[in-house]
Amino acid sequence: MRKLVIIPAFNEASAIKATVDAIRSKAPTYDIIVINDHSRDNTKEVLEECGIPAINLPVNLGIGGAVQTGYKYGVRNGYDIAVQVDGDGQHDPMYLEALEKVLIENDCDLVIGSRFIDKEGFQSSSLRRSGIRYFTGLIKLLGRQVITDPTSGMRMVSRKTMELWAKDYPRDFPEPESCLMAIKSKLKVMEVPVIMKARQGGKSSIHMLKGAYYMIKVTFALILEGVRSHDDA
Amino acid sequence: MMTLKIQIIIAVMVLIFVAILFVMTVRKFIQPKYTLAWFLVSVGILILDIFPGAMVWLSNAIGIFSPVNMIFFVGFVYMGFIIFILSVALSRMSGRVTSLTQEMALLRKEIEDKEKEDN
Repeated sequence: MRKLVIIPAFNEASAIKATVDAIRSKAPTYDIIVINDHSRDNTKEVLEECGIPAINLPVNLGIGGAVQTGYKYGVRNGYDIAVQVDGDGQHDPMYLEALEKVLIENDCDLVIGSRFIDKEGFQSSSLRRSGIRYFTGLIKLLGRQVITDPTSGMRMVSRKTMELWAKDYPRDFPEPESCLMAIKSKLKVMEVPVIMKARQGGKSSIHMLKGAYYMIKVTFALILEGVRSHDDA
Repeated sequence: MMTLKIQIIIAVMVLIFVAILFVMTVRKFIQPKYTLAWFLVSVGILILDIFPGAMVWLSNAIGIFSPVNMIFFVGFVYMGFIIFILSVALSRMSGRVTSLTQEMALLRKEIEDKEKEDN
């Protein structure tokens, strides 16, 4: 069984090495690929010095395009499982084992690490939480399944989902939309409780000013995704 | 309703624009299909400039009292149309750029891995 960790990185020079080291020690059976989304800092040099396998995008694509590159890499290199772990150290790799267990035992296609099942650890601000609850409701309405943490970046996928997302993946703010996409393609989606940490370095890609735009854009994208017809993946 | 002076000024401006448009097309700064849209606007403006009577006739024909309002209305609709077409073209283009960028990065990774294997 070939397993891949996809780490999208944009200006993560300060945190990337610690993130990779943590994965290597806590989840040694996984191969690692960092997708360097044309960082402006010295992320590329740090990756080279530390001998971390990386794909360097020649222009900045944003989080969606970067993560999709990882799924394409996974499909082409015969991986059975891929998991996205953010480069900023928010996601503890000790959970990969739990995600993998659920994925395999339930013959599942997408397992999401959720902060809001056991409600422990970093819970984000109350404003963001209510935004996330709103997306949970919208996805339930459009896809008839409850996803407690649709914005979570910690997601493990089967080969099937990898192939679906390698073909088509949302560009910006991809998590809720790609999640609904998987549900509508009749893939089996489950959640596992995880504890996330606050960020180690870098900045969240969503700050206050962008918040309103984020809500409107994702709402619109989800409704479009709900209307769109899907072949079963 | 228009003085000869402004008629001449408009005509000269349009002709200069058309000249620039053609030079840019020849030098391939702009693709012929887009040149065509801008050339048509220029011809339209030139016709209305030389025959202001046409403007009065046209505005009566579509039921607008003031010819100036008609110019604004028609101009606005036409510009909106061009910009909309550009949005469509841009969306398609950015999808292609994304695919190409990913393809290029993946290929480079493959080449690097091969080189490492050979050494």
